Order: sequence, then C-alpha cells, then structure tokens
Amino acid sequence: MENASEYVIEMLHITKEFPGIKANDDITLQLKKGEIHALLGENGAGKSTLMSVLFGLYQPEQGEIRKNGQVVRINDPNDATALGIGMVHQHFQLIDVFTVLDNIVLGAETTRMGFLQKKEARRKVEELSRRYGLAVDLDARVEDITVGMQQRVEILKMLYRDNEILIFDEPTAVLTPQEINELMNTMREFAGEGKSILFITHKLNEIMAVADRVSVLRKGRYIGTVNTADTDKRQLSNMMVGRDVQLEVVKTPASPGEEVLRLEHFSVPSHLHKRNAVNDVSFSVRAGEIVCISGIDGNGQTELVHGITGLDRPNGGTVTLCGENITHDSIRRRGKNMSHIPEDRHKHGLVLDFTLEQNMVLQRYLDPEFQRAGFIRQDAVRSYAERLIEQYDVRSGQGPVTVARSMSGGNQQKAIIAREVDRDKPLIIAVQPTRGLDVGAIEYIHAQLVSERDRGKAVLLVSLELEEVMSLSDRILVMYEGELVGELDPRQTNVQELGLYMAGAKRNIGEGGSAT
Amino acid sequence: MKGFFQKEGTVKLLSSLLSILTGLVVGGILVLIVGIFSKNISLSGAWEGVRLIFAGILSTGRDAAGALTWGFNPANVGNMLFRATPLIMTGLSVAVAFKTGLFNIGAPGQYLMGTLGSLMVALSIPAGTLPRGLIWLLAFLCGCLAGALWGAIPGLVKALLNINEVLACIMTNWIAANLVTWAFDVSNLKNVVENTKTGYIYKSSYGLVNGQYVADQGVSTAKLGLDRLFPGSQVNAGILIAVLAAVAVYILMNKTTLGYELKACGANRHAARYAGIRDKRNIVLSMAIAGVLSAAGASLYYLSGNTEFFWTTYQSLPGEGFNGIPVALLAMNNPIGVVFAGIFMAMLNIVGLQLTKLTAYNEFITDVIIAVIVYLSAFSLVIRMLLTRRRHREAPPAQAQAKPPEGAENAKGGDET
Repeated sequence: MENASEYVIEMLHITKEFPGIKANDDITLQLKKGEIHALLGENGAGKSTLMSVLFGLYQPEQGEIRKNGQVVRINDPNDATALGIGMVHQHFQLIDVFTVLDNIVLGAETTRMGFLQKKEARRKVEELSRRYGLAVDLDARVEDITVGMQQRVEILKMLYRDNEILIFDEPTAVLTPQEINELMNTMREFAGEGKSILFITHKLNEIMAVADRVSVLRKGRYIGTVNTADTDKRQLSNMMVGRDVQLEVVKTPASPGEEVLRLEHFSVPSHLHKRNAVNDVSFSVRAGEIVCISGIDGNGQTELVHGITGLDRPNGGTVTLCGENITHDSIRRRGKNMSHIPEDRHKHGLVLDFTLEQNMVLQRYLDPEFQRAGFIRQDAVRSYAERLIEQYDVRSGQGPVTVARSMSGGNQQKAIIAREVDRDKPLIIAVQPTRGLDVGAIEYIHAQLVSERDRGKAVLLVSLELEEVMSLSDRILVMYEGELVGELDPRQTNVQELGLYMAGAKRNIGEGGSAT
Repeated sequence: MKGFFQKEGTVKLLSSLLSILTGLVVGGILVLIVGIFSKNISLSGAWEGVRLIFAGILSTGRDAAGALTWGFNPANVGNMLFRATPLIMTGLSVAVAFKTGLFNIGAPGQYLMGTLGSLMVALSIPAGTLPRGLIWLLAFLCGCLAGALWGAIPGLVKALLNINEVLACIMTNWIAANLVTWAFDVSNLKNVVENTKTGYIYKSSYGLVNGQYVADQGVSTAKLGLDRLFPGSQVNAGILIAVLAAVAVYILMNKTTLGYELKACGANRHAARYAGIRDKRNIVLSMAIAGVLSAAGASLYYLSGNTEFFWTTYQSLPGEGFNGIPVALLAMNNPIGVVFAGIFMAMLNIVGLQLTKLTAYNEFITDVIIAVIVYLSAFSLVIRMLLTRRRHREAPPAQAQAKPPEGAENAKGGDET
C-alpha cells in the first residue's frame, strides 16, 4: 500500500458466519472513485449482510476493509459516517413529524453555544438542492410529502454530511418510472463529480442503464465483477441465479370463459381527500384471463382492491363475484371465492410474529381440516405447511416454525403466494406481487399466475411495473385519478402509449363509461 | 449446551430467575442498611432480617434462646397459597391481554367489580333459600360477569373509537372504585358492627340448617382437605381453581382457534382483518376475558370465608389488581409461569409478615422492601433484552442476512442521532 489505491473502498475476503449459514463467504467488493458500482444478488444472497459489515453493524470473522488503501476498522455506524459513507435505506429513516429541513440536519446540527443555527443549515441545504436539482420543500413535514420526495430528502441528508461514498439500497422500488429516470440522472451527476456510488438492486434494466461495473453475489458467495459495457442482461441474470432465467413471460393466448368478477359503477371514498378515490368504475374479469389494472401509484388502485376485498367500504355501485352480489359482505364471506395477494405484505399479508405454519392457515384455521371442536389440529397445520413449503419452494431457517419476521422479503412473498394460490379460489387478486423481488422470484411468481390462469382462474393484477403489465396481462385497464381511462390490448399497444394513458393525456373510455 | 441456552424458553426462565435473585439481593441489602442505621436493630438483628428476606417462608418462629428456628411452616405455606390465588388470577388477566396486544391496566377496576358482583349476590340471597354451594357458585359467576362487563368497556372504546385501552382502563378503574363504595353505601349489606365492612364474614361462617344458624355451614369456598395439609392457614380450593384457570388460559391461547384469532389480532390487527377475522370483536373479547380473570380472582379471595372487604374503596385501588402486572411481567406472559410468579409474590407478602412479627422491622419498611423486590423483579424484560442482545451480538439469527435485521435498523439510527 505504498501509494493511494485506485479504490476508495475495498472489502476484501469478507466472511461473516451466522449459526448454520455463511451469509458472506469470502466476498470481495472494490469500489473505484467516481464510479457507479452495482451490487446484484437475489434476496438472501448476502447483500444486506455485506452492507451491515461495511456499516459496522456486524464484525466479519475474516477479511478487512480498506479506505484509499488504508486498512480501517469500522466498529459502529458512527465510524462509517466518519469515513464519509452514507446510505439511503430501502425503508427510509426519517422522522415523519419533523420537517424536511429538521430531518436533513438531524444528528449533524450546526450549533452555536447550544443553539441551533438553522439559517446556515437552510442555506447549505438549499444550495445542495439547487445544485443537484433535488427539489424538496424544506418546511413541509415528512409525513405530508411523496415517497419520491422522501427519497430526495434521504439523498440530501448524505450530501449535507459531505459523504463521498453513497450507498443506495434498492432505491427504485418505491418510485414511478419518471422518478426513476430522475434518480438515475442524479446518480450520474454524483459520479461525475467524483463521488462513488454503490447501487444495490436486482433490477437488470437499471444496472444496464446506469452502472459502470457490477459485482454479483449468489447465496453468500462472490460470483464475479463485470463491466456493464461487456455484459448483457442474460449473462447477469445467469450469474445472479445460477441458471438460465426466463426473462420474458411465456404464455399462450388467453381463452376467457365465464365472467367471475363484475364491478358496476363502483366507487370507494378516499382516506386522504373528500373526493372518491375510486369513482364510478365498471369492468369485469373472466375466468382464464389476466386483467391488469395499471396506472401511476396513488391513482386509486389500492382503494379499488380494498373495496373489492372488503378492507374498505364502497360508497356506491356493486361488486358481483361468481354471480353473487358481495358488495356488502364480510371479508370472510368474500374469501369464499377469492384469494388476495395484498399490496403490503407486512401490514396485511403476514402476521410477522407468527410462525410460517401459523401464517399459512391465516384464513383457513376454521376449516374442519385444521380444527376440531375449536381446537387447532397442530399436526394437520404442520403437514399442510410442510407441503406448501415444499411445493412452492419457500425457504426459511427452521421450516414451518420459522418466525415470519426473520424470513427474507422474497420468501415472505412466496409464502403468501403459496397460501393464496393453494386456497384455490376462482378469483385471484394480486397487487404488485413482485414488488421488491429478484429475477428468480419474479419469474416464479409470473409462472404461477399464468398457470393459475390456464387452470381457469380469473386473475386481477395490479402493477406499477410497466414491463410486468405488458408481458403478463391479457387485458390492460388504465386507472387515472380514480377512473378507468383506457382499455388496451397488450399485443396492440406499447409502453409509450400506455404511458400517455397513465399520465391522463389519453382516454378511450368515456366519463363513467365501462369496459367489459 | 449452547442450543439449550439459545432457546427462547430458557432465556425467559433464566431472566425471570435472575431478576428475582436481583430483587432479593437488593431487598437484603436494604434490610441490612436499614438495620445498621436503625437504633433499635442490632447487627445480628439486621442479619436475621436478611435471612428472613431469603427464607422467611421456612421460618417457624424463635426458640427459647431467642434464635430463629427454621423448618416447614404449614401455616405460612398455606397462607402463601391463599394469597397467591388473586395474584395468579390478575396475573393471568394481564398476561392474556398482553398476548393479544393490549395492556390491561384495568385489572384493579375489574377486581373491584368482581368483588362487588360476587359479594352482592352472596349477601342478597338469604341463607337457606338455596343450597350453599349454589349460592357460592352464583356469587362467583356473577362476579365474573361483572368483571367481563368492566373489561369489555375499554375493549369497546378501543375497538370502536380507537382510544388507547390504557386511558380507558385508568378511567374505568376509578369509576369502579366509586361505584363499589356507592353501591354498598346505599345497600343494607353492611356489617352491623363496623359498617365500613361488608357482612360477608358472618354469612360465610354461619349457615342456616333446619332453621338454626350453625357455625361452619356458611357460604365459603370448599377447603378440599387443604386445611388439613396446611393446618392453621387460610388456604382453600381457590388456589386449585387458579391453577386450573392458568392451564385453561394456556390451552385457550395455544391450542384453540379462538386463541389463534386473539393472538393474530394482537400481533397484527390489519393482517387479521385481511384474513376475515373480526378484529373489533376480538379486542372486546380479549378484554372481557381479562376482566373475567381479574374478577374471578376477587371472587375467590372474598368468597373464601376468612377475608373482610372494606367497601370504602373510593380512595384507593386494590393492590392485587396492579400486582397482576409485575406477576405477568415476571412470568413473561406465560400462563403457567404466572402460577409460579403469583406464588412468589405471595411469598414476599408472607416474608413481610414474618419480618414484622419476628424482628424489630416495622411493617412499613417491609412493604418498601417488597416494593423494591417487585420492582426489580419486573426487570425481567430488561434482563431478557440484555441476554438476547448478548446472544445476538455473538450470533444473529441465521436468516437475518436477507434483510437488515431489527437491531440493525435501530443501530443505523445511530449515525443520525
């Protein structure tokens, strides 16, 4: 280490072992100054552990960390901050009731004799915000601003601390396509100024678009580092998953049968404003087809699903499921004929403190199969959970008795899919079923939905991912400001046209009109 | 061995035992300090106090030479079991609510309502009109019902208006305290001699047989031979009922579909609702069950036949209600653990009595010491946290690598604060 190394941060031969598993097995990651370096890996590949090591949350059994060629010891996050390492977490670390400015300066306040010097801070933040085009409203409270703006606040937090190594942990999972583009531009700008960026993701498109180099991890092992210029999506996905991955959905044309779900003039009130979140929507879904509700996040998709599934009460119109009017039925009664893969898997999908087997029977614990005279048949639950785990390849530390909270996001989602698909109902409602998941899991979930369709299920899919919408659906309905504004055939449209509908610039269904 | 120490149950048990020990040690030190600085307690007297703190339950008095004697003291043990009964019940009450995500600080109110319900019924039914066992049963059930209603109120408020159950519980506690005083004040069920008490002790001692009041034929809890096992004590079948209740709660929470629902609502109300479970009903139900348990504790205590109830409760809430909280904490909300925690707390009570009886320590200092022990005992959660944190630092759970674990999230806050 005679002279300064070309790498700002090097993690060399890092091994971190947890009981029964090597989360990181001899992993080397070298970050050059001024580059955008993507860290690619499936859920559970060891990305987060590696970052925790970098932040001093774990001490590795073997290996060392170097900054500019010098070996450094990072014992806690404060050491990491002192070395100029900053991170935008996947789940933002903001205080909802504080203003944007307060959040940015929190922990790095300028004070004079114990008094906050907010003016100086404000000047600095405003300057940063202008320079990088990161528009934020400094006086708004975090709870009132959009997710995109919250992310910009997180980025400004790093900049405010003069961090030069910026880590983005799955930053695009919560963003709209436009916001993703903006973020990419910002990242390029940072790199151009000599900041180094570590970009954790499993979205291949984004890597190809913005990264200079990619390091791939798989099951705790280091697979390799490649230049994005010398590789393609297929090679990257092979490196990540360890086998050939079907990036495109394979499916035959749909042969829709009977009508399963029908909505007529359906409206759901909003929790946020006085208008209806879903306004006078009519459509139907038939057996054997995948109908996708597409639109930019927050245009009423969530409320629409909540209205259909009973989580929210509608204030107009009717829902007919399998010929029965279920508009005012209880959630349990509706569950008789529908499965629901919920948007928020932590809030609705799982009881995180329950074990996997307990979660597997969340709706079914009253079935005679699982209870006798009010007593749960533990053995039946166990063997049922074991079958689902086996059949749907849900991976967890201790099988049926794993606490759901300790499972990886992808496997949590797989568990929900297993539970919902196995309930075998005529209608499956899947809301953003692949959000935040890796290529392997996405491939699996898409295949599941297609095979359920082919078995004659009606599938109502809500997705924000344009690619998913285009490849998976048989019919696309576009929602804009609570109304259906377009019905499209994915084979006869393209992303650009879809985008126009999503932005409200185009419309092929009249006011209050219906699509069937 | 490592596996054994990593089991959650072991950690729970270990932390409870450690906190009990800490509490006793600190209590012992306190006794020593008080003894050293007190004029009328000698050093040897202080040492006797320390010994009593640890083993007061086995004290049998003093011999002719004035030295403390030790051995099995049936009266002490019997009284301990008797006093444990209401503590176990309120402990169960708090534990059930905890398991379903609710903090039942309303146990004192439910306890009072249970007292009101059972004593009112027991006293209002004239002796001889019904078999005495039936009167007892009716009184007991009525007490439970009153508790269920009182528990359901905070539950309803929480379920329908989303008002924190702690607030509602505290308010209903004081409503109960005043209600009980009022109800007895306007009734004719007062003790004729001392009218701050109820007349129950008379009814429990004398029963109407062939038109004559006969001693030992009153409405009181059956002894089932326990009085022969522990002669000279107040013990009765109440302790057995409490143990049965603990087993029943354990089965309810762990083996039944109802317990599954209750726990699901407590752990994640949204997911429970998503699955079609009626979350509101379950919140009310779980508070009602908690109310029944507290009230049953009161009924068992006051229907025993050897306790008097002072109905002027408007100024203070019964300690048995609040003590359910440390009992539940100490037992880590495990129903079976609650039995042992309740007995331990009752033992402290007996130890306090022994200390007052046998040494120059007065009853107030023994109360302080008991309070210290209880307080430290409730630290079991803290100790458990320390135990698991040490374990986590050494070896986080195997699956944690997929997501930044909980601890990591918190620790990350470190770079901002």
